[in-house]
Amino acid sequence: MGDKAINSFEVEAKELLAIMEDSLLQLENNPGDSDLINAIFRSAHTIKGTGGVFGFDNIVEFTHVVENVLDKVRSGDVDVDSELIALLLSCTDQMSVLVQIAVDGDEELDDSVRENGESLHAQLNGYMDGTDSASLSKEIVDSIATAEDIMVADHWHISIRYDKEVLQNGMDPISFLRYLDRLGEIISVTILHDDLPDLADTNAELCYLGYEVNFYGEVDKAQIESVFEFVVEMCHLHITPPKEKIDMYIEMLDQLPDEEMKLGEILVATGAVTQHELDDALREQSELNEDVIQEKLGEVLVKEHIVHQETVDAALEKQAQVAERIKSQNRVLRVDAEKLDKLINLVGELVIAGASSNLLAHHLGDERLLESMSTMARLVEEIRDSALYLRMVQIGETFNRFQRVVRDVSKELGKNIKLEINGAETELDKTVVEKIGDPLMHLVRNSMDHGIESAEERKAAGKPEQGILKLNAYHDSGSIVIEVIDDGRGLSREKILDKAREKGISFDENISDHDVYRMIFEAGLSTAKEVTNLSGRGVGMDVVKRNIEALRGNVDVTSEIGKGTTVSIRLPLTLAIIDGFLVGVGESSYVIPLDLIHECIELNQEEQKEVATQSYINLRGEVLPFLRLREFFKDNAKEKSRENIVVVQFGNQKAGFVVDELLGEFQTVIKPMSKILQKLQGISGATILGSGDVAVILDVPTLVQRATHLADPSHKVGKAGDDAPVLH
Amino acid sequence: MATILAVDDSASMRQMVTFTLKGAGYEVVEASDGQEALEKAKGQQFNLVISDVNMPVMDGITLIKELRALEEYKFTPMLMLTTESGDDKKTQGKTAGATGWIVKPFNPDQLLATIKKVLD
Repeated sequence: MGDKAINSFEVEAKELLAIMEDSLLQLENNPGDSDLINAIFRSAHTIKGTGGVFGFDNIVEFTHVVENVLDKVRSGDVDVDSELIALLLSCTDQMSVLVQIAVDGDEELDDSVRENGESLHAQLNGYMDGTDSASLSKEIVDSIATAEDIMVADHWHISIRYDKEVLQNGMDPISFLRYLDRLGEIISVTILHDDLPDLADTNAELCYLGYEVNFYGEVDKAQIESVFEFVVEMCHLHITPPKEKIDMYIEMLDQLPDEEMKLGEILVATGAVTQHELDDALREQSELNEDVIQEKLGEVLVKEHIVHQETVDAALEKQAQVAERIKSQNRVLRVDAEKLDKLINLVGELVIAGASSNLLAHHLGDERLLESMSTMARLVEEIRDSALYLRMVQIGETFNRFQRVVRDVSKELGKNIKLEINGAETELDKTVVEKIGDPLMHLVRNSMDHGIESAEERKAAGKPEQGILKLNAYHDSGSIVIEVIDDGRGLSREKILDKAREKGISFDENISDHDVYRMIFEAGLSTAKEVTNLSGRGVGMDVVKRNIEALRGNVDVTSEIGKGTTVSIRLPLTLAIIDGFLVGVGESSYVIPLDLIHECIELNQEEQKEVATQSYINLRGEVLPFLRLREFFKDNAKEKSRENIVVVQFGNQKAGFVVDELLGEFQTVIKPMSKILQKLQGISGATILGSGDVAVILDVPTLVQRATHLADPSHKVGKAGDDAPVLH
Repeated sequence: MATILAVDDSASMRQMVTFTLKGAGYEVVEASDGQEALEKAKGQQFNLVISDVNMPVMDGITLIKELRALEEYKFTPMLMLTTESGDDKKTQGKTAGATGWIVKPFNPDQLLATIKKVLD
């Protein structure tokens, strides 16, 4: 079997397992939802089926028993309760382990995996009333194929009404029945003789009889119909399949290819209806058409007792599913992430090359060339945006994983916590999504462990027993904001400060609440009284902060005693290319992400003198702290006579950067800093200008904070020498 | 045991049919065209007639029509051997009074199975 095939098995199996898990979690809240039960059953069924095709017997063997129990759930024989859900979730985990083992090519299972599987099987078998319980042996695996077409105990019902003239063409009603008996066993024949006239009026050459036959045999409908092939035009024939066949038809429905088919075609393909029956039904339907209300094909077929209502319903469901899947297939295309990365890289190079051509064109001053360059530039920009957009994925999938986490952890902690998700459709860069999972996990667990109180505590505080944890995502000026909100006890200023003292961290006694809260992101600060296995070891929050800063984002926290805590993560939408604003200081160029720029103000010489000694100005009645980039970066080049202030906003903080020149918008391809330079403060990356020169991309969040600190003399958190903006 | 009249202008086809039917225990009488078959049918009562469609002198459709008109063959099953599975020939045969058809090429099992559909 090719690696590619196994790869696609892995992808599919993981998707199905995710669906299973998701549906199980939803099922817990809606135990009667048959759509969910069906989705779970189908997922398990498909995993077993495809696993079988690949010869992954471990998966088949395990999943078979899961499927049996699910079947009982589907038929209503087993009720859904949280115990069963927990068991099935563990089974999902086991299946996912087995899939991984199979994909990795390991034949033998570890003892622990095997034991876990056996224990789960034993629990599952508790739900089976002994019938199938001893069935975990290898034989099962081998016998699945045959088990699926086991004989059905129920009977076919065949009803035949011959035309009176049937005898005249040499057709003998009895001979057909005899022939039928060869295909299986005729259980009973009831002869209907209501039409038989008085003996005196009887024409011996006519057939007055009708037959109702109960028939038992391992045949399909088409085979039975073929018995009556010659006589079909001279009789009314109804073949009603055994009730048990419904399951078989439904199973066959699942195996049909995902093509758009009409209801009739689907039913014929499964064998529930023969082509002949379909033609008749369609004819009847079109004849009925003259009536005002047109009957649906399904209704006609059911009315004529050709198929059972259940079969029609299942077929209609399949039809709807296929339509949905085809629709979504058209919408979604799987692309190798590597190919995308390559494209984005190339687009980055294109942007740089474009900038250099543009510069050259300006140099030459040829108007036609300039015009053509500007068209090019616009197109390149569009290509850049669409290429980056390709990488955007919805955060919903990441969020949904936490349903399970919240469920498991709240069980573990004995707390009653509900997860609410908002903004699942918010899109952000795939790389960011991948890297945000771990920090989010920390935050969620933290909130559940420390934030949300136990039910008793909540009750005593007059809060609803059920704690609510919210995951929110939304876009805000070129960033995405992800919030983890709990309605728990909130952060305690005193506890944090006690802890800080204990750890020997220096702080001002008048430090604002907000700054106190932010201290939880410092290493070694955890206020949990006891260490649980979830959190409280004091590692985590600082790691969260570091991980997020590595993504050029930042993290903030607000809290209110008794009301809850909100941790918000602010991340850039993309990591590759941004719209930048190029400014000049001395001989150097700097790029500020355009999304963060609020406005630009020109400083005249008078104002320049005025602000020379200060680190803030009055901006239309607002205090605006600012930072002289020249000083910050220790640029010794000659001062220009005119200066500008670029006002940036990050989150709810505004600050100004004093620069010499405003050079305009610039598409910025972010080149990461090499390892040596990574610790440089105030710089988040570099880019290459059209001229080939390097421009530094400013790390606005850090600089804004720096400006605020400098402007606020009361501020002394952190190490001394804070205003020395050089290498650490 | 039932006696069957097998009509085909191809000797090899007749042989194959005869061999198969005799093997299954039927009595078989052969005829090489419709006219010959009609004569033989008048002289002896057959339980089943199997006839090719395209034959010289008298074709199969005509043969079936002629036979159906006879009192003795009013209820006798008659099968057509046809190369086309198309409905056209089948309908034509049906109208003429044929009971059923066998589509050529067929194997001995199919032949016997079809015969059993119409003959006790």
